[in-house]
Amino acid sequence: MLTEEKVHNALYSVIDPELGIDVVNLGLIYGIDIDDDSVTVTMTLTTPGCPLHESMSSAVYNAIRTLDPDKEVKINLVWDPPWTPERLTDQAKEMLGW
Amino acid sequence: MVSKYFIASVASFVVFCVLLLLNYYEIHGHHFQPKLLALTHILTLGWISMIIFGAMFQLVPVVLEVKLHNEKLGEVQFWLYCIGIIGMVYGFWTFSVGMHFTASAVMVTAAMFLFIYNIFRTMTNVTKWNITGLFLLTALVYLALTALSGLILGYNLGFPFLDRSHFDYLTLHAHIGFIGWVLMVIMGVGLKLIPMFGLSHNFSTVPAKTAFILVNIGLLGATIEWILTGAVWLLNVYIAILMLGIVSFIIQIISILKNRMKLTLDIGMKHSAVAFGYAVVATFVGGLLAWSNPGDEGIREQTVLVYGLIIMVGFFSMLIVGQMYKIVPFLVWFHTFSDRAGKEKVPLLKDLLNESLATVQFWILNAGILTMIAGTLLIQQTVQFIGIALITIAALLFAYNIGNVFYIRKLHANRRKST
Repeated sequence: MLTEEKVHNALYSVIDPELGIDVVNLGLIYGIDIDDDSVTVTMTLTTPGCPLHESMSSAVYNAIRTLDPDKEVKINLVWDPPWTPERLTDQAKEMLGW
Repeated sequence: MVSKYFIASVASFVVFCVLLLLNYYEIHGHHFQPKLLALTHILTLGWISMIIFGAMFQLVPVVLEVKLHNEKLGEVQFWLYCIGIIGMVYGFWTFSVGMHFTASAVMVTAAMFLFIYNIFRTMTNVTKWNITGLFLLTALVYLALTALSGLILGYNLGFPFLDRSHFDYLTLHAHIGFIGWVLMVIMGVGLKLIPMFGLSHNFSTVPAKTAFILVNIGLLGATIEWILTGAVWLLNVYIAILMLGIVSFIIQIISILKNRMKLTLDIGMKHSAVAFGYAVVATFVGGLLAWSNPGDEGIREQTVLVYGLIIMVGFFSMLIVGQMYKIVPFLVWFHTFSDRAGKEKVPLLKDLLNESLATVQFWILNAGILTMIAGTLLIQQTVQFIGIALITIAALLFAYNIGNVFYIRKLHANRRKST
């Protein structure tokens, strides 16, 4: 059975190709909602108008579909609240040279 | 379509370096010489503007969240532009500036107006304007002015009709192109890309907005004063305003870099940071030329050459090389790996580029630029030759490195076809 924890763990495999850090440690994931038929991921990006916009959303989509091909996956990309550096985990900061 | 522009521009940069190396003794005396004009236009049209066209076709839709108006128009523009450049450069090189030269200049101008129309139509669909969009829209106006003034100058070479010195208008044409077109694009795109690459947040954009206002007032004011041959003191005031605008933008860049979360500067960002250093030097030399007494004509002529070299090679080319190291891997990654991301392990952008080679190239390019400048200032042609040779080696390394990134795309496309 698909759980929030399983989805969350799967998203560690989605890496921002510019920064080399996954979307979870970057703090891009705002929420994961699972019901009987679908999984909805609410997420953001570090900046609006990012060229990786489509790629990151589709990578999150792919990662969840790989986990459970029967579930419908919805990506809810939001800009409010905007991403701030405070959302980075300590591990991400370390990878950025802090 | 975008790849075509990038490949043609990198090829132009290499051609420029090789031709400059073979004719190094031409960088001497007055800048108005057939071969120097030809070389300058290979660099400004073939390398700098060509790459801006390609980058803007890619970035404007992404940054302003709109669809490009007409991709086919971009194809037509490319071929018209390439044929026009070849004709113009041949005309300058041999100083055969008759009808075929004018026809080539008309083709280049027409290609530029196709670009302006295409991007302008794209921008009419923008619903969320930002400061980058404003910089780019303004740059389009200056591109039109640069193209038209260039066309008038080209026609005037073969069929003189201007009442004032050709050189006066040439200075104006060059500065509208350098500052109004290229710098305006750099400021707009830089304001978007540098924070994105450095993961910079929480910085004020007041310096950039100030730069926008000051550069426009300074450039337009200086242009009008120049044309009207008005008061010299007023012209100097406008030049000072313009310089303050450029300094304000440099302050913006420093602020963005200070607020970055990604502490280590990769090779693309190192190129960019150094390029802005050259921009400061160019601004200082420009002010020196504008405000100093003519003095020794020989020294002044060499300083004008150095001024042009710092702007075109130190600032623009260094910045373009750096940004290409960021943009080309992204494009190749996007077209080759983005649909597989999340399904399987895909390479990172930095994995697509040979960073060690780029680092060697970075140092050779800087050594080359500094040596060339020293040789030009001291009128030491052997030193100039060594400098240009180093720049040529750097250009070849850059072309090889970028070529390899494009090759990854081709390699994977072939693999996909065969499976």
